[in-house]
Amino acid sequence: MQQLRNLGRRKLRTSLTILGITIGIWALVVFGSMANKINALVAGGSQFYEGKVTVSAKGAGMGFGSPVDISAGDRVASMGGVDVVVPGVSMLLADEASSMSMSMPQMIRGQVADADRGRETFPMSYASGRALTPADEGSNVAVLGSDIARQHDTKVGDTITLHGEPFQVVGILEPTLTAPDTTVVVPLEAAQRLYVKTLPPLVAAELDPATLATGFTVYPKPGTDPETIATEIRATAPDLEPVTAKDFNSQIGSATSILNSILVGIALISLAVGGLSVINTMAMSVAERTREIGIKRAIGGGRLRIVRELVTESALIGFLGGATGLVLGAVLVTVVNEAGRSSGTVLFQLTTGTALTAVGFSTVLGALAGLIPAMHAARLDPVAALRYE
Amino acid sequence: MTATALLEGRNLRKTYRLGRRTTVEALRGVDVRIDRGEMVAIMGPSGSGKSTLMHILGLLHSPDANHGPRPELSFGGQDMVNLGEGERTKIRAREMGFVFQDFNLVPTLTAIENVMLACDYAGIRGAPARALAAEALALVDLADRADHRPAELSGGEQQRVAIARALVNKPSLILADEPTGNLDSERSAEVLGLLRRFNQEHGQTFILVTHDPDVAAACDRVIRVRDGRIRDQSLSAVPQPLDLEAREAVA
Ligand SMILES: Nc1ncnc2c1ncn2[C@@H]1O[C@H](COP(=O)(O)OP(=O)(O)OP(=O)(O)O)[C@@H](O)[C@H]1O
Ligand SMILES: [Mg+2]
Repeated sequence: MQQLRNLGRRKLRTSLTILGITIGIWALVVFGSMANKINALVAGGSQFYEGKVTVSAKGAGMGFGSPVDISAGDRVASMGGVDVVVPGVSMLLADEASSMSMSMPQMIRGQVADADRGRETFPMSYASGRALTPADEGSNVAVLGSDIARQHDTKVGDTITLHGEPFQVVGILEPTLTAPDTTVVVPLEAAQRLYVKTLPPLVAAELDPATLATGFTVYPKPGTDPETIATEIRATAPDLEPVTAKDFNSQIGSATSILNSILVGIALISLAVGGLSVINTMAMSVAERTREIGIKRAIGGGRLRIVRELVTESALIGFLGGATGLVLGAVLVTVVNEAGRSSGTVLFQLTTGTALTAVGFSTVLGALAGLIPAMHAARLDPVAALRYE
Repeated sequence: MTATALLEGRNLRKTYRLGRRTTVEALRGVDVRIDRGEMVAIMGPSGSGKSTLMHILGLLHSPDANHGPRPELSFGGQDMVNLGEGERTKIRAREMGFVFQDFNLVPTLTAIENVMLACDYAGIRGAPARALAAEALALVDLADRADHRPAELSGGEQQRVAIARALVNKPSLILADEPTGNLDSERSAEVLGLLRRFNQEHGQTFILVTHDPDVAAACDRVIRVRDGRIRDQSLSAVPQPLDLEAREAVA
């Protein structure tokens, strides 16, 4: 192919230009994969909070932390429009928050299975084993999120130790790319017991584990807006902190969309620099080849043909840069993900969409960057071009 | 014998603008007629407007239309003055062949690919183009150099590749600007003999811009240009075939 041969004419210059695109696409792939992962977490979170009010003890953040008495749930249940209130206990899986992590912290969560009576909308599918049932209350059984199962190399039937107690693994979830991946689900009674173990002995002695909850999931009656219930909880129960999908989206969603814009912005800036260097390279190529363009035009090469050849050449620069950047970005993403997997930290998610977009974008960018010099070349007067020194 | 005109030009003018004030009147109103099958030399001192005339006849430039009497140019009976660049490019590709003075070939392409380029622009591609190009290269005695790049060819060989390219589509008109300018007299006679043979065997029309009186002498007719005007377009004095054979015998 003639365009490949033309690229070979100035190997150093072409390679440097391709490198410029490579860096831009590399950044786009890496940051894009990071944004994908964050988006998946956020989308999962948003879906998790949809259609219900997630209530936690005040000051405890998103569903774990300081305990309240389980009777607080009855107060909520008596509010208008409330269908079911499901008490739950959540705590960190590790004894102390250890690893600095971009991902969700690993959690243990306990609630009576099926207490939500099918109202739960967040989809759960099982890679192996089964879901917990109400009959599991009182026994030490657990369902593991996919990341936790992978990290501990655990299969259904194995035993896992949680805060010093052995639990039999009865089910493992499919990856969801969000919170359930890093969560161990146990019966409520077991979670209450484990929770007390994490407290200082003096505090623990005061508590009856059976009356403990760290939060409630409140399902509204059909036709009732979760926001209405959240407003009433805020007004009447100062010890409880309700979170709805709307709250989640306004807090986390807007923060992540800014983060996404910054990440993608960085990549686009480096691509703009790469694009300019393609324009520069192609302008130099056109100047160098002025006489040969003059010959082609003189012996009957049409303008469109000249433009097409040069644009193909610069699109090729863009494609080669993009493909190289994609490969290098994919290598980095894979290596970092594999390294982080053992600690349950998966930073990136490289999707086919991101990969195709990156290479497609760099190819189009290359073509567009070549268009200006190519049009200039096509407009040259063949005779003047022939005489060009 | 009534010859039919292949090219007919009237009031051909070309003024180059250098600065705001300075202009060069390269062609100051030329009437010219080239018949089918003619082999014509354009002669004249340096800067007299020979190349300018050739570029207008070869549709590489348009004659000035914004001052003086309206220019006319017809090729094969068809008006060329009002033709768009796309149409002119098509005619150059299909019906004309060009040889330029020094820079003729695309440096990244081999000899045969350079010749095939002309086929490509005329709409012939692939195996038929390769066969035609090989045939044309054989005509200029360069079959064994088909896969050489221009940098691997001598100046004379490059000129012959350009001639092969000009001939490959069997165009009705071949325009050559100093086709023998870079060649020694022996090579020059060889190239000239080749052009003459095509002119006679295929009835193709040739316009040769030249400084060389020997080249002019080998043509049917000489158009003499001076200061942008035609001074004289007499028929050659000497019956050429004899002259040419004599020179070839010497070589
Ligand atoms: N692009 C241009 N811009 C300005 N002036 C030009 C241009 N091309 C040619 N000229 C001028 O026009 C005049 C005629 O040029 P042309 O090239 O036709 O001469 P020529 O007869 O072919 O000369 P030579 O034998 O040296 O090639 C010259 O004075 C030249 O300087
Ligand atoms: Mg000249």
